[in-house]
Amino acid sequence: MKAKTKALNNAGLFVIFMGPALITFACVLLIPFLYGVFLTFTNYDPIKGTKDFIGFANFAAIFADKEFLGQFLKTLSYVFYSTVFCNLLAFLLAYLLTTNIKAQNFLRGGFFTPNLIGGIILGYIWKFIFANVVTQLGNSLEFKPLMTSFLTHPDRAILAMIIVTVWQYAGYLMMIYIAGFVGISRDVLEAAEIDGATGMNKLLHITIPSMVPSFIICLFITISRGFMAYDLNLALTNGAPYGATRLASMHIYQKAFQANQYATGQAEAIVLFIAVAIAAVSQVLLTKKLEVEA
Amino acid sequence: MKRTLLSMVLVIMMLSVLLTSCGQAPDTTKPDSSVSASSTDASTNEANAASATPADTQKPVKITYFNTSAEVNTMFENMFKKYHELFPNVTIELIPTAVGEGQQEKLQSLFAAGNGPTFMNVDPANVIQYQDKLFEMTMENAPWLAQASDGAVEGGTFGGKILGAPWSVQGYGLLYNKRVVDKVYGGAFDPATINTRDSLKAFLEKIEASGVPATMLHGANWSMGGHYLTLTYAVQGPKTTDGTGFIDKLKAGTAKIEDSPIFQGYMDTMDLLVEHNYNKADPLVGDFNKDVQAFGEGKAATFFMGDWTWTSMTTLKNVDQDYGFIPVPWSNNPADYGNTQIVMVLPKFQSIDKSQNTPEQTKAALDALGWMMTDPAGQQFFIDAGFFMPYKNVRTDVKYNSMTTAVADYAKNGKTINLGCFSYISGDAWTQTGNLMLKYISKAATRQELAQGIDDYWKTVK
Repeated sequence: MKAKTKALNNAGLFVIFMGPALITFACVLLIPFLYGVFLTFTNYDPIKGTKDFIGFANFAAIFADKEFLGQFLKTLSYVFYSTVFCNLLAFLLAYLLTTNIKAQNFLRGGFFTPNLIGGIILGYIWKFIFANVVTQLGNSLEFKPLMTSFLTHPDRAILAMIIVTVWQYAGYLMMIYIAGFVGISRDVLEAAEIDGATGMNKLLHITIPSMVPSFIICLFITISRGFMAYDLNLALTNGAPYGATRLASMHIYQKAFQANQYATGQAEAIVLFIAVAIAAVSQVLLTKKLEVEA
Repeated sequence: MKRTLLSMVLVIMMLSVLLTSCGQAPDTTKPDSSVSASSTDASTNEANAASATPADTQKPVKITYFNTSAEVNTMFENMFKKYHELFPNVTIELIPTAVGEGQQEKLQSLFAAGNGPTFMNVDPANVIQYQDKLFEMTMENAPWLAQASDGAVEGGTFGGKILGAPWSVQGYGLLYNKRVVDKVYGGAFDPATINTRDSLKAFLEKIEASGVPATMLHGANWSMGGHYLTLTYAVQGPKTTDGTGFIDKLKAGTAKIEDSPIFQGYMDTMDLLVEHNYNKADPLVGDFNKDVQAFGEGKAATFFMGDWTWTSMTTLKNVDQDYGFIPVPWSNNPADYGNTQIVMVLPKFQSIDKSQNTPEQTKAALDALGWMMTDPAGQQFFIDAGFFMPYKNVRTDVKYNSMTTAVADYAKNGKTINLGCFSYISGDAWTQTGNLMLKYISKAATRQELAQGIDDYWKTVK
């Protein structure tokens, strides 16, 4: 009898404390998501008001859409390069800014600032820089590669996006890495020093392994944000030149809202979701294995 | 135990506050959820209306207006203020949009939420998209339509129903800077002398010889795809169905665009323009303000663009004021359709919703629209903003800017290309085929690849 009341009590408490969060989560995330999945099996069109079941036709349409596949591959390479360079630069900055150099705090603040500017504004600023400042510089130096805008050549425009992404996120990731550096116990480092480990050895065998949690977070952030990049893509290139820099998110948006193929767009969004989930989760699982107990 | 009880009570209180505030939120916004999107002026107006006319027997009506011509939000706002002064029972609330904002998405979400605007200024493609929801205008319920210029009402007729009222006319072709060209020609240049590709070639070479880049192409997909490539459909014949019929054949795969001499002709002309392009070194920059500035300063003699360029021109200093239009010839036969004409298009229509508004609201919108389009007081707002209205009763003593005047002159002489098929081409087509055109002008694709890409695109459109 008493156990039963206790279970009831527990259930009641659970509802009281978790209920609101669960209901909100279900309303704004779970239900829309499941409904979204459902829509991919229909020929949904909000203007015409159709919503008939058509099976896997939308998914078949994705694999017939060569453009989407091309853009998906382009997104993969964008994610790869921006992840690598973001993390390399951020790690390097964090390393330098934990060596007690002069103006350390000022520099930390400076590198972090780009992250406080929204992607759209950032895109417009860099668009101006690439289109006007860089070309002006190229003209006055008579240096040919800089004379034409970065944004008018397919490969260089992707490069421009990677540059801006690195610039935007490196400072943010740097903060996480700094926390990682600071968190390494002095005892372990000292012990290593006594054992005769010097600069590079210390970094490779002590610092990096103990910073695996920081790497997990940073890689997760860069990979998932890279896949979902939209604001920067829109403001900086908007797909220019001739749609060559349209990343997956932008393609999906255009498919749904400009070509008015809502259900196909939604199906592509689901495919993107699965891809991001696989990439991010497998990354976390793989790097988790490298974690060491300090 | 007491403490647990207390905390339970507290939690429940907090919960109830949370839930009630959640529950109330939609209630407060539901009656007119467009308020948040409307200007403060409009909402204060509404408050005035409620207090100023309590004795009035006629029931006050509140209607909403969705505007996609973002550059003239203020014009509509002032117009509605004036209308409210004249007819205090009717309050029109403007739902403005911004340039570059997702206008189509905003309209979709308004309709999806059951808050469709009562009437709206939209693209022809929207009229087709929303045709089941739109109110059909007839000569009986909208007698003022009889004032519209010839052909203007046909432009707003879709599937035999008048669903959109025309309100502005725009034209495009090869704009030329009169000061620069007249200097080269040593006197007033006559644009009618350009009626074949060879004469255009001679013209461009003559200008180029004087040291000025002869033309300018704007490296954006809407200009190259939406405007230039669309010529190849429109020039198939003077009737709208000639253009749409050709597109239908492309969709069905029974015709190939490369087999059309008109397409080949326009691309030959394009090659010519590319060769003399001011932006030749970096053709895809596509910075509209930069291009307009350069053209206004006389750095390029001609510009493939339309009279809307004027709106941007007025914001600049030290630019020329006199411009004219040259046709874009596609063959060497002066008699061919398209060689002596420039494009005239009705870029936007006024439509009324019948699906989510009450009949009273629809009626109020229809009356307001009649006033805006044909009452001298309503028309004055459009005239002041520099619009050329396709209505016969518009004041004739208005002096328009040089670009609009040039379009009006072509229209007067019947020298216009009917771009009716443009209404049936969605924004997606501009982006997709426009991107192919950009590849072509930057020499990243051959003409064969361009044609193949266009054929492939149309086959995917249902």
